[in-house]
Amino acid sequence: MTRVFLRCLALALARWCSMGLFLFLLVEFSFCVVGGSNRHVWLPESYGSVPAPLSVQPTGLRELVGERSSASFLALGLAYGGVVLVGYGWGILAARFRRFRAASILALPFSAFACVPGFWFVVLVAIYSYVVWKRPGFADELVVDSGPNFLAWWHAAVVALPAMAPAAAWQIRSVASVIEAEASRPFVRGLYLAGYGDDDIFYGNVFRRAVPGIVSLFDRTLPSVLGSLIVAEWAFRYEGMGSLIVDSVRLGFYPGIFLGGLWMAAIVGLATMARQVAEQFLRPG
Amino acid sequence: MANRRTSRLEKEGLRLLARVWQVRCVVLLAIPYFVLLSWLFVGSSRMDLRPAEMFSIPETPVWEAPDESHWFGTTANGADLFQLSRRAMGNSVAVAVVTSFLGICLALLLTSLFAFDADEKRFRPMFIVSRAGFLLPAMVVLVIFTGGAGGSLPVAMLGLIVVAGLHLAPVLAVWFQEGEKGPDVLAGFGLGLSRSHILAGRVVPKVLRRLVGVFAQLVPVVVLVEMALSFMGFTGDRLSCGAMVAYGRNSLLEAPWLAACPGLLATAVVMILSLLGWLVAKATGSGSLPRIF
Repeated sequence: MTRVFLRCLALALARWCSMGLFLFLLVEFSFCVVGGSNRHVWLPESYGSVPAPLSVQPTGLRELVGERSSASFLALGLAYGGVVLVGYGWGILAARFRRFRAASILALPFSAFACVPGFWFVVLVAIYSYVVWKRPGFADELVVDSGPNFLAWWHAAVVALPAMAPAAAWQIRSVASVIEAEASRPFVRGLYLAGYGDDDIFYGNVFRRAVPGIVSLFDRTLPSVLGSLIVAEWAFRYEGMGSLIVDSVRLGFYPGIFLGGLWMAAIVGLATMARQVAEQFLRPG
Repeated sequence: MANRRTSRLEKEGLRLLARVWQVRCVVLLAIPYFVLLSWLFVGSSRMDLRPAEMFSIPETPVWEAPDESHWFGTTANGADLFQLSRRAMGNSVAVAVVTSFLGICLALLLTSLFAFDADEKRFRPMFIVSRAGFLLPAMVVLVIFTGGAGGSLPVAMLGLIVVAGLHLAPVLAVWFQEGEKGPDVLAGFGLGLSRSHILAGRVVPKVLRRLVGVFAQLVPVVVLVEMALSFMGFTGDRLSCGAMVAYGRNSLLEAPWLAACPGLLATAVVMILSLLGWLVAKATGSGSLPRIF
């Protein structure tokens, strides 16, 4: 087990480092080659202190990233937790009721919501908050000083919802299709003829055999969830890593761009590593 | 005894009818596309409209809330928001169609660089690069590229083409691999036909057929991404629903319809395009796209 884990970790680290190099080149190419800036990424003077618009109070980079990443973890946890729970739960249910085309029906609300631009949805929430609730709408307009901070959960949920919907729809359909492919194999007909019950065939045989395929879908939607979070966070003025990246790009603040990008790459890399380790145990060799 | 031979005209007519029946899905799907695109693109030139001018607020704004004459209300300058939104969606859809097409062409080009090689592991470098490269969300790459380059439409389009192309190339590689396992291809190898001949004659047409579905599915996704980039101000001062919502954010209390209404039309158009894309993908057997953005 240790060998498998270390091998996957080494692979993840190598990928993460190569991604860091790519990020380095991307920033240089975008800002200096195409954008015409003379602040090259290798010059020390290109890396100044945290600009005032990124933080209300003067703060260091470490504190800034710490605050932003904890806020983003909350939103990401809600969004990706929702994708995993809904995607797997409803996907398995959809496969169980495949004769009623349940995959399309169960994914339909999420697919419809995926057509709503995420930035517009969070602006609508802000409008509703202003007009109907008569209270500040965007995430940076009210701070809870004492007591449980339910507002932080509300803001994170608003940001997470548009990121979750398209990924959940994709996950439901993908999980269902993997199990349905397994259910269309000849051995299923044989089990029917042998007198096995529906539930026994599905949960005891089809689902059990489809587990490695289902697990391989675990990290597929994570990059798109993170990508959607960037836009939604910035639109809702939610102070997370996504809005840090966008604001850093607008201000030309390289450390913010690198740290934001590497943070996201690390999360995706860790999820991929977890999936690979799980696959090694479920499908050795 | 009656002459049972059918005339040439009748034969051709029957053949034509049979052909139309064969492609009935294409015909039925082309009609709503045609209607939607005609509605979006009808009217004068739209690329010259600058949202900064359209959404500037004069000292005495003349905006009107949505009513029967102006479904989406008007801007502070009195311009009809519905017409502006329609033109903005026309822009976004035009950008999405061009970038999706070129992105697919790029993916096909990249895949064909490896596909004609005889080695069984010829796509391996592509898969290795894609596994490492997809650690960074595509949206991050686009934001850094378009924002760092100053934010203009050509740069955003270039970014979208490259990102879509690089993400689709491994998918096409898998399709090529699947296509080569078909019995007709194996028979071709058995008969001694050359690899390029078999690929060009048997595998490429199958892949191209599925690409129609990919294109139809990609367009609504790219519309959403383009709007998101314009919302963040990374596509220059150009009319787009994203930019309109961004400008509308400045007057949420006085005129909330400025931010709310353009998104309504954008949602409706994306929903129609997604539905049509799903139907096209189903008709062509393309399967679902990987989550790119």
